[in-house]
Amino acid sequence: MAEEKVAKKPLPDVTPVNQPFWDGAKASKLMMQKCTNCSTWVFPPRPVCGDCASEKLDWVQVSGTGKVFCFTIIREVVGTALRGFAPDIPYVTAWVDLDDGPRLCSNVIGCPVEQVKIDMPVVTVFEDSGDGITLPKFKPA
Amino acid sequence: MSIRGKAAIVGIGETPTDRLGGKPGEPRKSTAEYLAWAARLAIEDAGLTKKDFDGQGLAAIYTTNHSQPFWPEEVAAILGITPGVSLAGGNGGASSVSLLGHAAAAITAGLCDLVLVIAAAAPFSERGGHRGAHGDTRDFEMPFGVMGPNCKISFVMSRYMHESGMTDEHFGKVAVTGRYHASLNPNAYLRKPITIDDYKKSRMISDPIRLFDCVMPANGGKAYIMTSAERAKTMKKPPVYLLGWGECNNASYGPRYRANPLITGITQSGERAFKMSGVAHKDIRCLNLYDDYIPVVMIQIEDLGFCRRNDKAFFEKTDFTFKGDLPIQTSGGMINCGQPSTTGGMLHVIETVRQIRGEAGDRQVPNIKFGISTGVGAVNYGKNFGCTAAAILGSQS
Repeated sequence: MAEEKVAKKPLPDVTPVNQPFWDGAKASKLMMQKCTNCSTWVFPPRPVCGDCASEKLDWVQVSGTGKVFCFTIIREVVGTALRGFAPDIPYVTAWVDLDDGPRLCSNVIGCPVEQVKIDMPVVTVFEDSGDGITLPKFKPA
Repeated sequence: MSIRGKAAIVGIGETPTDRLGGKPGEPRKSTAEYLAWAARLAIEDAGLTKKDFDGQGLAAIYTTNHSQPFWPEEVAAILGITPGVSLAGGNGGASSVSLLGHAAAAITAGLCDLVLVIAAAAPFSERGGHRGAHGDTRDFEMPFGVMGPNCKISFVMSRYMHESGMTDEHFGKVAVTGRYHASLNPNAYLRKPITIDDYKKSRMISDPIRLFDCVMPANGGKAYIMTSAERAKTMKKPPVYLLGWGECNNASYGPRYRANPLITGITQSGERAFKMSGVAHKDIRCLNLYDDYIPVVMIQIEDLGFCRRNDKAFFEKTDFTFKGDLPIQTSGGMINCGQPSTTGGMLHVIETVRQIRGEAGDRQVPNIKFGISTGVGAVNYGKNFGCTAAAILGSQS
């Protein structure tokens, strides 16, 4: 089967619920949802709080510093939906615990994959995908 | 009212698994054919006929390539039966263990006295039925290159290694044990024994997940039949009673925005199952645990309370083979028998039934009265499994 010349990477569906996150990223701000009723962080974005079911959710800017909670080094493409990532292999995806916010899934870039460790301090970098979406990624702090 | 001992499994059916349709020109079977085949095997095993199921219960599990709202009715049409009670398994890989409780409840309440629980999938033969990724995965994982379940479980495994100090040796031992059991199971797919060294040399896919940590997708169908304890005593095969059962969905340990991924809902499911059954851990002679990945088996052994958290020494000293201290994965597990989508988890119910009946041939656990089976489904964003269930089965009510 002939490969497409440049396979595209999948992008998020921007919905009314998650739009402030993606708008924030475009403006180089990491925005997170917080419940005004029970003060818990809510991520991924939701129409109601996953803990107390309140609909009173605010968007607040967080600092973007955190630590690697756990990570993986992707060594091969599995299936077809993500074949656009083939040129990036090997790359790191990680769960990052924000110092002043929730945990989120992203990439650790800007260093060789072998240097990424659990508990490593990281800071957000905003990467323009070129398709109207900016992805918040992380680099060593 | 408890369902403890009120219902029993009296029939099991398992088609061989295959990967036909993976290569051009290979013969193909449809999901419908695997469904009909699995049902026939289970009905024969129980000494019943298809007609016995008219007006009775049918529980059909949604699979990833046949997920439509009236699936149980379509399964009834494929099988040519007219159920009076329709149950749907919507808990992914946990469904076959979840439905043990749901079917037993329907039987205990007198809604019906036979339930056929069935699932089949043919992901290789029926390409094109791809289910689009849903919300969180599509919006917050795939844009960062999260490569499906391999990657999601590698997050969990990397943290597990960090906190417990477990290494290749520990994961390899569990992988080798499973393959050894598969070598003794004529229904298994991967039957050539492996060594720890083979495990260590297996290809790294998504550090620290290796090829030999991963389940193998396959085509196939499975079914079991439950009836009341009274009727079970009159049937062809010795009854295997449901003694304890528990389910837990959307579990979170710690805050939902930062949950501990090393504890799963199997903890609560297992507690409920043990409490209902009154069976002691030491009397459980066989653990057949949902195994999409090797570390998931190990975390569940901890969740169920067979050892402490991060108990490296326990994994080093315990003989997990069928003749050993704590037999696990006696069929070889899905990792070696293949996973036909959400059908795969039923393997663990069927294997526990075989062991308790004494039908497990060369891998028969000696003197077994009680066994436990688990199921898990849905690897959710940022935490562990969304659906979990555990069931304790036994030869005595």
